[in-house]
Amino acid sequence: MLEDILQKQKSFFETGMQTVLRGQENRNRRIVIQDGNLVANQRSEDSGICARVYSNGVYGFASTAEYSEDAAVKALKAATENAKYLEKFNREKKGAFPALSARVINSPRMIIDFEQKRLVDVCKEIDAYIAGKYPDLLSRTVAYREDTMEKIIVTSDAADGHVAYPRCRIYVQLNKKTKDGQTVELFRSLGGFGHIEDNFSDLSAMYEKIDLTYRDLCAKAEGVYAEAGVKTVILHPDVAGMIAHEAVGHTVEADLVQGGSVAGPNLGKQVASELVSIVDYANTAFGKAAPLPVYIDDEGVEAKDAVLIENGILKGFMHDRESAELYGVEPSGNARGYGFSDEPLIRMRNTAVLPGKDKLEDMIASVDDGYYLIQTGNGQADLTGEFMFGITMGYEIKNGKLGRAILDTTVSGVAFDMLKTVDMVSDEIVWETGGTCGKKQPMAVSMGGPAIKCRITIGGR
Amino acid sequence: MANIQDISALIGDYVKDKKNFKGSFTVSESEQHEITMKDGKFTLFRTLFDNNMNIKVIVDQKQGSASTNKCSKEAVFAAIDDAINSAESGNPDECFDIAPGLEPEKFTMGVLEPDINRLMERTKELSEDIAEKYKKVKIIEMFSKYVKGRSIYTNTNGTRDEKEFGYYELALEFAGNDGESTGGVLFTCVAFDNLDEKLINLGFIDKELEIAENSLNPIKINDKFEGDVILTPESTAQMLGALIANTVGDDVILDKRSKWLDKMDQQVASSILTVSSRPWDKRIVNHEVHTADGFRSKDYTIIENGVLKGLATSLYTSKKCNVKRAENTGGNIIVEAGDIPYKDMIKSVKKGIIVGYVSGGAPNSSGEMSGVAKNSFYIEDGEIKGAVTETMISGNLMEMAMNIKEISKELTCDGYSVLPYIKVGNVTISGN
Repeated sequence: MLEDILQKQKSFFETGMQTVLRGQENRNRRIVIQDGNLVANQRSEDSGICARVYSNGVYGFASTAEYSEDAAVKALKAATENAKYLEKFNREKKGAFPALSARVINSPRMIIDFEQKRLVDVCKEIDAYIAGKYPDLLSRTVAYREDTMEKIIVTSDAADGHVAYPRCRIYVQLNKKTKDGQTVELFRSLGGFGHIEDNFSDLSAMYEKIDLTYRDLCAKAEGVYAEAGVKTVILHPDVAGMIAHEAVGHTVEADLVQGGSVAGPNLGKQVASELVSIVDYANTAFGKAAPLPVYIDDEGVEAKDAVLIENGILKGFMHDRESAELYGVEPSGNARGYGFSDEPLIRMRNTAVLPGKDKLEDMIASVDDGYYLIQTGNGQADLTGEFMFGITMGYEIKNGKLGRAILDTTVSGVAFDMLKTVDMVSDEIVWETGGTCGKKQPMAVSMGGPAIKCRITIGGR
Repeated sequence: MANIQDISALIGDYVKDKKNFKGSFTVSESEQHEITMKDGKFTLFRTLFDNNMNIKVIVDQKQGSASTNKCSKEAVFAAIDDAINSAESGNPDECFDIAPGLEPEKFTMGVLEPDINRLMERTKELSEDIAEKYKKVKIIEMFSKYVKGRSIYTNTNGTRDEKEFGYYELALEFAGNDGESTGGVLFTCVAFDNLDEKLINLGFIDKELEIAENSLNPIKINDKFEGDVILTPESTAQMLGALIANTVGDDVILDKRSKWLDKMDQQVASSILTVSSRPWDKRIVNHEVHTADGFRSKDYTIIENGVLKGLATSLYTSKKCNVKRAENTGGNIIVEAGDIPYKDMIKSVKKGIIVGYVSGGAPNSSGEMSGVAKNSFYIEDGEIKGAVTETMISGNLMEMAMNIKEISKELTCDGYSVLPYIKVGNVTISGN
């Protein structure tokens, strides 16, 4: 656990310069067992201090790998010099950001480290389960990934805090040959906030997931290519969560709105069906802790929920202090940096489509000819809201019933067009807690949603 | 900053008497200066100092690894112990190994003293050049940086490589924007070792800016057809990267998913395609000096005139699967130029598209690929008719490699790779 040596450095903050000092440690654990061979068995720890100084519209930033009082002073000095250097090039001077309440915000829990043997043993146990139960697989991979983060934040004119983000996940990939010698693959994962004992002290949920994955893989081995075109589909909550994050979330990050995203001119307008609401939750959702609870961001802003779409109307963006000032709103606490040397950027936290009132089985029954898309491998979207997701598992729906599995495909569309076609939303939310978002730096995020019924373009062959 | 010579010596002393022990150790320090520009204004100046220590050990033929950026004596010893403890939790495997010892060598490359003021001037000049030449392009963010590093790599077989390097890098994120509509986001990055030239002339920058400007007001393709696809150098990098990872990459060879497992010395691509991995090519800015396993990095050919000649495999996978190991640890892909000018490649297309980037699901070992063609242009009867929107391409990567029809004379180098335009036939193109 990081020792708070930063509070006493406030006396070195330069007057008139809005300053944040951040101490941080990132821990990563990675284990990969491929066909019973332990091919990766890694531990890494990175820690250090960074200082960010804002003055007259520019930021100076400096970081050092040393975690000491001397290093903090040096980082502060270098960041201040950098800001002054940049000011010389800046003709438009801007004022300071409005001061925020000075309070201390701490996470309710910190990080617990485990010996590598415990982590390896869990992976071996899972690998042995797969090897014993499913000998007909071509190959298998079990991987453990832990990426935890601890931060101490000390500011000149906002809140201070000490927060931690422990999370771990186990991934299983199963590969099988089809009758004609092709390879089909399917991966699933389980885990979330907390350490290995929080998530994997009982492996029965993992085994259920593996059994389900094997059944889906066998169906996929008999699968068919999806028919290309615009189709009626039911998106599983995992896929709907990806829509919330990629196709909507990125377009409403205020820095990307400034970059010209499609959301800018649509604020206050109907961008989705009235059944669709999307919120980026800070730390509490639906009466429980969110999968990745963020209490304070890296600018010392207390994290608040950001309502993005409410009943189909685009209501707002996610902000840091600078963009909040520009748009005349309160900052929402979305500024986070991945490593100790990373500057805070506007990042999502727990972004979800809100559940509706429909039952999933009724939704499937309402489709005459379409698809139930249950798993996505990855997704991308851009400022236009045009998105695509790789679909790694799905089934045909014929006359209201699930049919044959489909092979890997891609779905695409334009978010604000596609969301207007949503006519059913299921009543149950499912969170995907292992997301890592890429935007200059990686960042831990979670996303979630109910199943939604909509029209979407599906790629075929 | 820690003294990496001292740390390296400390590691050597700590492990010298360990039994049944092999290890490799990289100790490094780095320094970065990065300038961010938004809307034509400098907004952020970062200075970063970091250390790193990577440790890989094999104890009783069990492998573990650890890394840390703490450099105190206690932290160094703790990290080695951490790696050893990790190894002890694993299984023994005769295939875990490190390279035999190499003669100690020192490598110095690139620019070791930065000129930050000149970098600022060049960055500002680039912003002005873009504003002047591409009035319908909005720069979302621009990062120019100088990176400097020193490292010492040692292993228990006696290798000691010292490397010192420095280079500049520019990353640009932008989109076509005419005040009313926005095009797809483009991202380009280039590494360089001097500031002699205008930045707009480096790498793919100018070509990508032109694509962004021309991407506004796209047309919709309403039908589905099989046609020619011309991959730009950026999308060539993307498609080749996916092909290599899914056919000759470590993972797919190790778990037997690769469709090219038994294709060595056989035709796997069009005979006009030659692909190599060449870290020592003079157009590459920062050269890899040894592989992750400790062998001296060398250039090697993956595909020669369409024939499979090399795999991208580690020492472990090569021993496990009884295949040849790669001569370097990947990257720095170089495709040999063809004999046709890019403009003539367009003229011979009856119906097809130029693809700037494929936004799609990551292809797997089956090679099946489908995705949205972003920053792409429709061609009919040899003429570019306009940018396209909501258009997907689909096909199979291995089949696409066989269906390469033409490779451009022009090559583009971004400091990391050297790539041409590539025309592929019989790709399914479908509009909305």
